Amino acid sequence: MSDKQLQIPVEPGHRAAGGTNPYRGVFDRLSDFCRARSLFLLHYCTGCGAIELPPAMTSRYDMERLGIQPMATPRQADILLVTGYVATKTLKRIMLTYEQMSAPRYVIGICSCTVNGGMYWQSYATVKKLNEYLPVDMYIAGCMPRPEAVIVGLQKLMDKIEAGRAESWKDYYRNYDYYLGKQQALFGERWQTPTDIIAEARRYDLFGPGTLGEHTALLEQYQQPLEMPSAPVFGREREKIER
Amino acid sequence: MHWQTVLFDVVVMPLVAFIVGLLLVLMMRRTRARLERRIGPPFFQPLYDILKLYAKEIQISHGFIHDLGIIMVVGGYITVEMFLPVPGMVGLAEKGDLIALVYLMMVPSLGMALGVGQCANPNGSIGISRALISMLGYDIPFVLVVVAAAAMYGTTSLPEIIAIQQQGGVGSWGIASMPVMALAGIITTHVMLAKEPFETYIAPAEIATGPMVEMGGKFMGGLFVVQTFQVYTAGVLFTTLFLGGGITWFDFLPKVFAVLFLPFAITILFPRYKAGEGLLWVWKWPTGIALLGLALIFTQR
Repeated sequence: MSDKQLQIPVEPGHRAAGGTNPYRGVFDRLSDFCRARSLFLLHYCTGCGAIELPPAMTSRYDMERLGIQPMATPRQADILLVTGYVATKTLKRIMLTYEQMSAPRYVIGICSCTVNGGMYWQSYATVKKLNEYLPVDMYIAGCMPRPEAVIVGLQKLMDKIEAGRAESWKDYYRNYDYYLGKQQALFGERWQTPTDIIAEARRYDLFGPGTLGEHTALLEQYQQPLEMPSAPVFGREREKIER
Repeated sequence: MHWQTVLFDVVVMPLVAFIVGLLLVLMMRRTRARLERRIGPPFFQPLYDILKLYAKEIQISHGFIHDLGIIMVVGGYITVEMFLPVPGMVGLAEKGDLIALVYLMMVPSLGMALGVGQCANPNGSIGISRALISMLGYDIPFVLVVVAAAAMYGTTSLPEIIAIQQQGGVGSWGIASMPVMALAGIITTHVMLAKEPFETYIAPAEIATGPMVEMGGKFMGGLFVVQTFQVYTAGVLFTTLFLGGGITWFDFLPKVFAVLFLPFAITILFPRYKAGEGLLWVWKWPTGIALLGLALIFTQR
């Protein structure tokens, strides 16, 4: 009898049941309710899909009536909107931006290019699947999707958030080694960002079995202190710092 | 006055200011949306924004001074609300006067400068220097308006100013007895609320919302709360000085909303001044009008 009781799996956290647990806290429900109704967008619009967002925001489709409004910096934003193709160089900036956002944070990939590379499939410098490098909550496919499609996609994300199922941002902490490995494959083994994801995972109780691994070991090996020199340094001094 | 009444007022007045401020922010956003032929945000949108920001699970702080700065901003405005009499509640307004209120209204800007300093973001530093330049600009006409009001009513006590205007009827309201000063006051209110063309320090497309550049989660939430207080304070102060305050909330609130509707509605017409240009404009026009009004008041007496 006691053995059977021990075999009952104990799942950590109130959201382990995928948001279907009826006994979730009232406060969490209220938070999710508000999160779903107030979304601040950060546009990372280097691709052509950006052209469909102004009509979605202005008088024709008016996203503000759904509680969605644009914001200027990653710190303030909830949604990172990646529109169009992502070049290898662009992805570095996307990673920096994504890691600066305060969680819960959501990523939306707009246009076919973020889904599978789209018409840049054969390009050597373009990232094919965005979700290999950071967790993507929603893809809005199309070349380019109409503002209606963008708004429907955002509404689906809202439903997901309100049900407490939009938690892919936690995946970035729990499987950091996987994402970092993919990033290192592109940017080289010395790749690092100013945000210490491992420390954040420890601090916020998001540590998972996939947080540490061979890639994070490589990161720790090459990691440099974040303090930058106050004045630009060149020549031998620069080489010393970079080393 | 009984100490329990004061305690009740001091707790309830900031809460009332917050709720009215939420409605004012809603009016601001809806006005803008309607003028752009949009529908605008839902009724509870300002509240959803604030609750969502406080409910962020990862809060990014840049250190102790960053935290302290935001506490100073929010705390400064909560103190301001305690000194601002509203119908049925006086709070600390009898202990401190208009001068104390003017002094307290500068505390949030300084707290913001303190907090943003530690973020070490260049955009934030530019933003805060512009915010202080803007404050340097509007404080001169603002102080002139305050001096004029004190000279006109013969007192600096806000409850007494309200009582004088309520006893004298509409003819004794500030807007009738010193219309030139009221004009300077409404322009100063516009500058104080940092609406275009004076939103030099917010400037989302230029310096990425200036002081708010590194603010996320509860820090941004604090600033959203402060926005409600800021709008409310500007509206209530103008109503108190020029529109006779109010005996009941039913004749007080329409005045506050009407006063603020003007800056909210005309702001959409303008682009943005440069920080220096804005400063010169404020020192030229509202200050000039206020000096003229002051001269008129002293010649009348």
